[in-house]
Amino acid sequence: MMSYVYDLMKTPFVLALIKIVILLVVAFTVIAYITLVERRLLGFFQSRLGPNRVGPLGLIQPIADGVKLFIKEDTVPIHSNSLLFRIAPIFTFFPSLVGFGVLTFALPWITPASKMHLFALADVDLGVLLVLSLSSLGIFGLMLGGYASGSKYPYFGGLRACSQMLSYEVPLTLSIITVVMMANSFRLSDIVTAQQTHRLYFFIPLIISFVIYLICMIAETNRTPFDLPEGESEIIGFHTEYSGMRFGFYYVGEYTNVVFLSMLAPALFLGGYDIPFVNDIALWQVYPQLISILGFCSYAIKSVLFAYFYIWVRATFPRYRYDQLLKIGWLVLLPISLVNLFIVAGIKLFLLK
Amino acid sequence: MQLLNKFLKMITFPDLLKGLKITTKYVSKKKITEKYPEEKRSYPYRYRGRIHVTIDTCISCRLCEKACPEGCLKVFPPPREIMKTDKRPAQFYFSQEHCLHCGMCVDSCPTGSIHHSHEFEITVFNTKELLFDKEKLPYDMLKKQYKWNLVENVPTKVEVKKKEEV
Ligand code: SF4
Ligand code: SF4
Repeated sequence: MMSYVYDLMKTPFVLALIKIVILLVVAFTVIAYITLVERRLLGFFQSRLGPNRVGPLGLIQPIADGVKLFIKEDTVPIHSNSLLFRIAPIFTFFPSLVGFGVLTFALPWITPASKMHLFALADVDLGVLLVLSLSSLGIFGLMLGGYASGSKYPYFGGLRACSQMLSYEVPLTLSIITVVMMANSFRLSDIVTAQQTHRLYFFIPLIISFVIYLICMIAETNRTPFDLPEGESEIIGFHTEYSGMRFGFYYVGEYTNVVFLSMLAPALFLGGYDIPFVNDIALWQVYPQLISILGFCSYAIKSVLFAYFYIWVRATFPRYRYDQLLKIGWLVLLPISLVNLFIVAGIKLFLLK
Repeated sequence: MQLLNKFLKMITFPDLLKGLKITTKYVSKKKITEKYPEEKRSYPYRYRGRIHVTIDTCISCRLCEKACPEGCLKVFPPPREIMKTDKRPAQFYFSQEHCLHCGMCVDSCPTGSIHHSHEFEITVFNTKELLFDKEKLPYDMLKKQYKWNLVENVPTKVEVKKKEEV
């Protein structure tokens, strides 16, 4: 029996299934707890304590929030396009969840039983392109949600969200393209390997792309200072008509996006699962397990830094006006990122042969 | 040079960085929020909490009853014969329901028997619990704090009960 299970474990399909389940569980836990971490940290930034009542240190708060959202009444407005209204929240939520599959979390853990890569689910060739297309798919959720609500306020909210995300998608893509050019590959693990072999994280040569990425990733996920689509208390956003768990899906989708983009950023700019100041690949040939675990930890720490940056920015800056937002997108970020792209391309073509 | 300075200012976002620096300072600063039920802070000396009465020093003069704008105090003096020797009220009612915490009664009392306490958790589930009689009245929590209070040598409630039993 045991050997049968063991054999079954070795088949790629079952292994992939197991990895999917683990990834989903971990991702959901992280997404649930980043809401808590954010609220507590925001409290700290404002000299408050944040939610600490439910359970020790408020650790059960996310579950309480989830239960609250589930038992709320779920209304569908009469004038809404009910099919689109129902599927729209899923559009924001699932694309970014799929994105997690593309990431590689550590160097391969070489087991005697199977030479499978334990820390990557689907390290596809065009990983970066897949990520970008998935993040554009996320726009549909906002747009459809606003359109299907059958009310003009969410409609305009949806339009606003859509135009914001479209205009920030462009500089984001252009800044990621420079990374791709430096690494000569669209595969995310290759990008990390390039940084490991050069012993140079890309955020040093590509500092402009890095800054643009930081700004655009905040704008992409609709968070302060670019949170015009939602505007938690002041602006009527695209999800005004939503209630209960459908609203919860939008909420979770935003945090999924936050977690995903802050996990993508280290892979692109901070060397991913590379351990700083150590020659990883040489050491990995000697102690594969140790280095892959340590690499995973360093990846986690780097992602946490980015997630912290999100919250930090949210606690610090006031919201931009809508025209300012579009101006920053089209008149500042786009030209800078275009020029940056050409400079990097030129350097790559003529200097780094 | 100025142009260069301007350019540097443009690309390094000094104002944004300054804002980020200021918020960072607040993360480790002491928090203003109190964890209320677990940690109670100390209240000012003259905090106006629920009215407490030291029945043993009360002389049943009913001045507090007349002073109270809400009429929430009711003093029943003892019968005349007893009044000669023991002036403690036969019954003393205090209704928390209407009390304004205005302090008129405290000011009017000639013996300092009635006073504010620091007790502020006065919510109950049943309004009947808000009516205090002589037995239920909170007894003399602050007697040491009120210097003009003449109760230093007055026996505590337990001792009084023991005396009555004897
Ligand atoms: S504090 Fe004011 S309202 Fe309350 S019992 Fe005294 S006099 Fe009456
Ligand atoms: S004023 Fe003071 S002494 Fe007179 S009845 Fe009221 S509590 Fe007693």
